[in-house]
Parts: sequence; C-alpha cells; structure tokens
Amino acid sequence: MWSWIPGNWSLIWQLTWENLKLGVLPALYGLALSLPLGIIAARWRWFYPPVLTVINVLYAVPSLALFIALIPAFGLTDTTVIIALTVFSLCVILPNVVAGLRAVPAAVRQAATAMGYGPLRRLATVELPLATPVIIAGLRVGVVSGISLASVGQLIGVSSLGYLFIDGLQRSFPTEIYVGIVLVIVLALICDLLLVGAGRALTPWAARG
Amino acid sequence: MITFEAVTKRYPDGTVAVDALDLTVPAGKTVVLVGPSGCGKTTSLRMINRLVEPTSGRVLLDGTDIRDRNPAQLRRGIGYVIQQTGLFPHRTVEDNIATVPVLTGLPRKKARGRAAELLTLVGLDPVLAKRYPHQLSGGQQQRVGVARALAADPPVLLMDEPFSAVDPVVRASLQDQLLSLQAELRKTIVLVTHDIEEAIKVGDLVALFAAHGKIAQLAPPGELLASPADDYVAGFVGFDRGIRRLSFVSTGQLRLGTGPVLPADATVAKARAAGEPWVLVTEEGSGRPLGWLDAARLAGQPDSGALGKLAADGIGHSFVAGTDSLRAALDAAVLSPAGQAVAVDGAGRVLGVATFDQLRAAIQAADAGDDEYAAADGGGPRR
Repeated sequence: MWSWIPGNWSLIWQLTWENLKLGVLPALYGLALSLPLGIIAARWRWFYPPVLTVINVLYAVPSLALFIALIPAFGLTDTTVIIALTVFSLCVILPNVVAGLRAVPAAVRQAATAMGYGPLRRLATVELPLATPVIIAGLRVGVVSGISLASVGQLIGVSSLGYLFIDGLQRSFPTEIYVGIVLVIVLALICDLLLVGAGRALTPWAARG
Repeated sequence: MITFEAVTKRYPDGTVAVDALDLTVPAGKTVVLVGPSGCGKTTSLRMINRLVEPTSGRVLLDGTDIRDRNPAQLRRGIGYVIQQTGLFPHRTVEDNIATVPVLTGLPRKKARGRAAELLTLVGLDPVLAKRYPHQLSGGQQQRVGVARALAADPPVLLMDEPFSAVDPVVRASLQDQLLSLQAELRKTIVLVTHDIEEAIKVGDLVALFAAHGKIAQLAPPGELLASPADDYVAGFVGFDRGIRRLSFVSTGQLRLGTGPVLPADATVAKARAAGEPWVLVTEEGSGRPLGWLDAARLAGQPDSGALGKLAADGIGHSFVAGTDSLRAALDAAVLSPAGQAVAVDGAGRVLGVATFDQLRAAIQAADAGDDEYAAADGGGPRR
C-alpha cells in the first residue's frame, strides 16, 4: 500500500506546495495588516477594545462558513481561502503586536524621547525591535494554524493537502490520509522552526530562557 | 544657565504640581532639587527638556525660551539620566552610549570609538562595550546611563534620582564618580533626589522643595545645615545637622597647640617637665605620630629613658590641617584617648594637636561668619 507514494510523487509535491502557499501567505498578509492596526491601537487606547471585539467575533466564525460567505464575491478560488485565512491570522497576530508594543518599558520610551528621538524614529528603531519577540510568537501561531486550516479549503474545491483526506476517505484508502496528516505536521514544524531561527537572528539581545 | 520664571504646572484634574517656581541654575554648577515625593521636583526637571510643558511661565536655557526650540533638537543637547536607567535592551553598551551622536549624524564607527572613551571616563572596563545591558550589574548599568548622557558632550545634564535604585555602597561610589567627573567637565547639572544626604554631598546649591513646587530654601549645602530657613527645612535636613554642617568648614584657621608633642628619642624627664596629662610621641625624623602616653605610664620610669621605648596608646586617626573639615577634626578628637585631635600636614608630619576647646572656638568663629573659616573653594564637602 505504501507503493502509492512513489507513484504519486508529483501530486503530493504539488499539493504540499499549494498548502504551504495557502498557509503562509495569509499569515504574512495578517502581519502586514496587524502592524499598522497594532501601532494605532497601542497609541490610541480607545481604538483597541472595539477592534478586539470585531476580531474575536470573526475568529469565532467557523472557517468553512467564512469560505462560503466569501464565495459570492470571489468564487471557488485561492483568493477566497486566502482572504478568510488572513482574517484568522489577523485575529492571532494583532493582539501580539499590541501586547509587544505595550510591553516596551515606559522608562525606555521616555529615555528615547529625552534623547531626541521623534515619534516615528522611536517607533521604528526602539519600540518595534523591542516588540519583535512577542510579534514573532504571534506569527508562529498564525503560520501553523494557517497551514492546518488551509486543508479545509479543499471542501470548496481549492487544492491543498486536504485533497488527500477527502480522496482517501472516499476511496477508503487510509495511506493517503496518513500521508496528508504527516505532511501537514512536517510543513508546520519546518515553518515554525524557520520562524524561531529568524526570531533569534533578529533579537540577539534577548535573554535565552 | 537655566532659568525658571514663574513656572506653573497645573494638570487637567486641577492638581498643581509646580506653583510659580522661580529658580536659576548657574552654568557649570550642580543644583540639587530635593524634597518629599509629590513635591514637584521631577516635574520641574522634566520641564527643562520639554518632557512636560508648563501651564504658564517660561523656562530659559542660556537666555532663550525653550519653547522656541525644536524639542528633539533641544533634547539632543541635554543629557538625561533616570533611576530605571532606560537603557535600550536591544542595543549593546557601546551602541547605547552612541545613541545621541548617531542621532546627530556622527558615523556609527566614530560614535563607537567615542563610546569606548566614555566607558573609561565613567569607570567601566571597555570590554563591556559589546555586552547587552541585562548582562551588567545595576551599578554598571547606571554608569552606562551616565556615559550615554555625556556622549554628545551636552552642556546640560538632567539626573532624575540617578542613584536611588542601587545599594548604599554602590551609591556612594557613583556619587564620588559624579563629583570627580563634574570637577573635570563643569556641566550645568540639575539632579533630583529625595535623599538629603545625597543633595548635601553632590550639590553646589540645594533647592529644598515643600509641596507644589514651592522652594522652602535655596542655599549652598553648608548654609542649609547651619541656618535652616524654617522648621520645615530644619526637620528635613535632620537632627544631627549641627555636626554634619562641619563637613563644610575648613580646618585651615584652626588654632593648634604644640605643647605635649615630643619625638621618640626625647627623655622621660622632658615629658614630665611638660606637665601635661597626655604626651604625643612622634617618630624621629619623619615626624609621624606614634601614639599617646599618659602621665600614669611615665610614673616609675627612669628619667633618662627614651619615650619611644614605652608602649603608647593609638591615636585613632589624624586629620590633615587645611584640607580636612572641622567634622574630621572633631571626629579625631572624639576617638583620641587623650581627647585631642592630631593635626598633620600632607606628608603625615605632626603639626600640632587640637583640644575640644580649640575646636569649639573654631566652630563659634565659623558660626559668627568669620570668613577665615569658610571653605576656601566654596565647593563640596571635605572629609
């Protein structure tokens, strides 16, 4: 039964690549949206509670339901899955951006101002670098959950490793399902390790626990 | 020079932190703002670099209203040191110190070179340059904070409780470091503290705040101790101010007795002839003090015996006439078995001794405002 694998090498490779794309791109888009929103939320505190409420409500929507809701606008396409997963990744990354920026010690912020940093320069060279470990922690959750959720896209016909689950179920052929599960986990682990490495490279100053 | 002109800070909730403050900080001097928490001293300090804007009144820096200056530009010319250090955790020690020079456009390499010099200046080993702040002790971090504030060589230094977070031994050494740096650099320093001892030790002028940024007394530390303006000031400076103020009085004009001082090769007969209850024995040649001999010890000794052969009591400690303060002289008298302080010159040679009566006369003369007794340099406390 394992002979199925070498016979379908190109299918497996293609599904893995598509799953990776559907998992990672939304997390990057989510980060790109979370940074400006998080900066605004950290500066103007009134802005954050309503945003957090909206985010939590969106996060509560089942992923399949969100895909279906987006179909009228974007059809049975990658775009539908990517938009939905971007929303979910925003939900996990934005709170970390806000938490990271708020955790910058007041004394450090004050010292930076007193030494003659303007607000933008202070943000770019002091506050964001100091928030980086917390933001990366959020990005890790976003990427891993994105890779895992991407397979659900298969239910609306968007190709991913989810194909192996559905096909394996319909043909009562568990090998495909096992291969799919293992690949999703391996993919998530590799991405997570890459992010941990990137985090360490970006924050050589952080004390290692 | 920094000038506060009728500066008031009122917060939107109606709290008045500083009320019509007038204060001049002379160029090259250290002015310490001291007082209980909530007295407005930190708010006053932060109005100098525009971290806080006054509600009314003006703050002038060398005659220019600081509101006419761009805040970021203004701040790059004012060093700032705070209790929590505010060091950047993500930058190495050298890059922390190089912050302001880099902001003002100095190439990073040059700024790092300057950082290494500053590390030495504040008493740190240059090997610490590549470390991150969390790898340093509290005292070392505070020194890096001072180095960072000095990096662009600003004429003005603001220090907000700079030494309050470290233990007393480290604090004393940081204060000594500040005094020696200031002797060399002559910055215009405003330092905030709640510790009156620190204020008296490092200040050329001490501004003692009552509530709401009202100054109860502005005076040199010696004057603050000798003549407090009111009961509030007297209470704040403490019950032993009478002795502490003697730190600011020179021993230069203290009248010394020479009567009972004899070299070690003098005879017992000579000591008896002096007719004193105690005799100070000094080393032949060098003139250093060896110890006190009391009259009872001389009894029964042959007239021709040398004083150096007899066991003498220790002298406690001596004081350097003209360099040490009257407080050091008084302490020497208290600790001496003979009740007399031993005065020496810079080389340790005995110049004479001072009795309690002579010390009292010197204190009274100082209190009478006799200029001869005022500290010659008008500067910090003597030993």
